[in-house]
Amino acid sequence: MSRRSLSRREFGRLVGASALAAWPAASFAAGGAGQAVRPAGGALLQVALVTCPDYAPETLAAAVRQGWRSSRPPDVRGKRVVLKPNMVDVSAERPIHTDPRLIEALVLHLGDLGAREIVLAEGTSHNRDSEDLFRRAGYEAIARRRGVRLVDLNYDDLVPVRSVNPRATLLREMVLPRTIREAEVLISLPKMKTHKLAGITLAMKNMFGALPGMVYGWPKNTLHWNGIPLSICEINGTIKTHYAIVDGVIGMEGHGPVMGRAKKAGVLVMGDNALAVDATAARIMGVDPERVEYLALAHRIKLGSLRPEDIAVSGGRPDRVRTDFALDPEFASLRAPRG
Amino acid sequence: MTGADLALAAGFIRRSQNPDGGWGYQPGRQSLVEPSALCALALHAGDAPEAARRGLAFLESCQKPSGAVGVGPADTVGGWMAYAALLAFHALGAADRERRLRAWILAWEDASRRFSKTDIAEIAARFRYDASIQGWGWTPRTTAWIEPTALFILALRRTGTAATEPRIKSGLALISDRRVPSGGWNFGNPYSRSFELEATALSTALALAALGAAGVREEDAAAAAGLGYLAACLAGEVSTAALAWSVLALKSFPGRAALARDAAARLARLQAPDGGFRGNLFETALAGLVLSGLPILLPAAEGAR
Repeated sequence: MSRRSLSRREFGRLVGASALAAWPAASFAAGGAGQAVRPAGGALLQVALVTCPDYAPETLAAAVRQGWRSSRPPDVRGKRVVLKPNMVDVSAERPIHTDPRLIEALVLHLGDLGAREIVLAEGTSHNRDSEDLFRRAGYEAIARRRGVRLVDLNYDDLVPVRSVNPRATLLREMVLPRTIREAEVLISLPKMKTHKLAGITLAMKNMFGALPGMVYGWPKNTLHWNGIPLSICEINGTIKTHYAIVDGVIGMEGHGPVMGRAKKAGVLVMGDNALAVDATAARIMGVDPERVEYLALAHRIKLGSLRPEDIAVSGGRPDRVRTDFALDPEFASLRAPRG
Repeated sequence: MTGADLALAAGFIRRSQNPDGGWGYQPGRQSLVEPSALCALALHAGDAPEAARRGLAFLESCQKPSGAVGVGPADTVGGWMAYAALLAFHALGAADRERRLRAWILAWEDASRRFSKTDIAEIAARFRYDASIQGWGWTPRTTAWIEPTALFILALRRTGTAATEPRIKSGLALISDRRVPSGGWNFGNPYSRSFELEATALSTALALAALGAAGVREEDAAAAAGLGYLAACLAGEVSTAALAWSVLALKSFPGRAALARDAAARLARLQAPDGGFRGNLFETALAGLVLSGLPILLPAAEGAR
C-alpha cells in the first residue's frame, strides 16, 4: 500500500475522500477569506519568478525588490505586517527552515516601504520548544537586531473563527492565534520542499503552522486526522494570506520536509495568490501541480488558479529554471513530463 | 532556590494575575489552563493562598460536567492541559473536581483502538512504533505522543495514582517503545521510514520525568540512553522550559544528583530581577516549583529524594 493511501487512511479516517468530494465549490465563489480569486474576464494572476543564486544580503535585497515590483504586492505603508516563515524544525545539516537572511532582507524592504510594525510569527509543528528553535534558526537574532516582534503562535491568544467550508467537521470552528487574525498584512514565507505526506510543501501548506499547537497538537495532529488536503484548503480559505514568497534559493528534495537533502533552485517565487505561487513553484520543482491533491482541490474550490493560462509569470517561464526535485518514491506520479 | 527566590517568582506571578483569576503565558494575555494551574500551584507553595484560590476558581470554571478540562473555559472537549489542572485540584484541595478529572483522564480515548490491524502493521513498518499501545494525545481520539503521555503520567503519579494502574503501565510502554534508538525522545516518531529522527531535550526531559515518577530506575535501557542524551544536551544551550523539566527529571534518578544540582543552579541564574523567567508565567511557575524542592510535581514519596 502506498504512503498516500496510508496517510489518507491513518490521518483522514474521519472525513477522508468523501468530504473532499462533498465540498461545495460554490461556498468559495468569493474566494473564501478574500484571497485573490481565480481571474475573470481575461485578467491574470501575477507571479514573479526571480533568480537568486545565493543568500548574500545584496543578492537578496535586489531579488526581493525586483520580485515585489514585478508582482501585485500589498500596500504595507502604516500597517502591521505578519511574516509566517516555515520552521517545522531546525537542523545544522539540512535546510529545513526558511532562511533567516531572506527574512531579514524582507524586513528591511518592508521597513523601507513604511510598514508600521513587523511581526515574525511561527507555530512550530514537531518540536514545541520555540525558545530553542527561534534561537537556532537565527530568528531571535533578527528580531533583536531589527526590532521585530517574535511570536510563538502555538501559545498566542485564541480567537475562534467559523470555517468557510459549510461542511467542515473537525475544523468547523477554527481557533486562530490573535496575531494571525489581526494581521493587517500576512505574508507566507515557505521553504521550497518535498513532503512525505503531501508531496510538496509551499505557501499553502505552510499555513499549518499558523494554527496553535496547544489546540491542534504537535505535529498538528488534529489537522492530519481531518485529512491533509482538506485541512490545507479549509485553513487557506479561512485565513487571508496577502502575499507569498517561496524560498527556493536552496530547498529540500527527497524525504522532506525534515529529512531530505539540500537542493539548489536559485529562485524566489513571489505573488499575491498563494495557489498561483505554489503552482509556479511546483513547476520549477518538476512537479505537475494538477497532480498534487491539495492544489487541485484548492483550484476546484476557487482559491485561485493553478492553470498556466491564468498566471502571468514575470521573469520568464518556469520551464526555464526547472530543477527537478527528487520526489519521495510514493509521490513519483507527481512528476511533470518534460517538454 | 531559596525561599526568597520562590517569593520573588511568586511576586511576579501575583502581579500578573488576570481579573478572572487565571494567567496567560505572558502577563496581560488570555487566561489558559496550563499557566493558570502552574501559577496557582506556585502561589500556593509561595504562601499566597488568596491569589491561589482565585486561580483555582478560574480552573474550576474550565471543568465541564464530564469532568474534562481543556485549554480554557470555552473548550468543551478537553485536552492535554488537564494534566496541570489535576495537579492544582489536588494541591489546592478540590477533591471532588480532582476525582472527576482523574476519571476523565483515565478514560481518555486515544487513537490506538481506532487503527485496524493493517494500519498498525503499516505504521510499524514505516514509522517503527507500535500504534496499538495506548497513551495520551494532545486532544482526545487522536494519536498518542510522548509529551502528553509523560505529562499525564506525572500528574497521575503526583496525585496518588499507583504506578501499577493499567493506563500508566501502558503509557510507560509507549514511552519505551517510541524512544529514539541512539538515545532520548522526540515528539513521538523515532523513525520516518529508514531515517532515525533526532531526539530533543524537552521531549527527553519530560519522558524521563515520567519514567522516574513511575519508579523506573536509571539502569533501565531506555532511561539510561535518555539520561546520556540529556546530559549531552545540558552541556550546550537548552531552553528555559527544557532546563526546568530536566531538573525535575534528574531528581528522580539518584545517580544523576550532581547533574541535577548543576542544572538547578543554571536554571536559578536565569531568574530576572522582577522574579520572572523570560517574562513567561508558565516557565516562571515551573522553575519556581522545581527549584523550591517542594514535592509539588513529583510523587510524594520521591519528592524529597
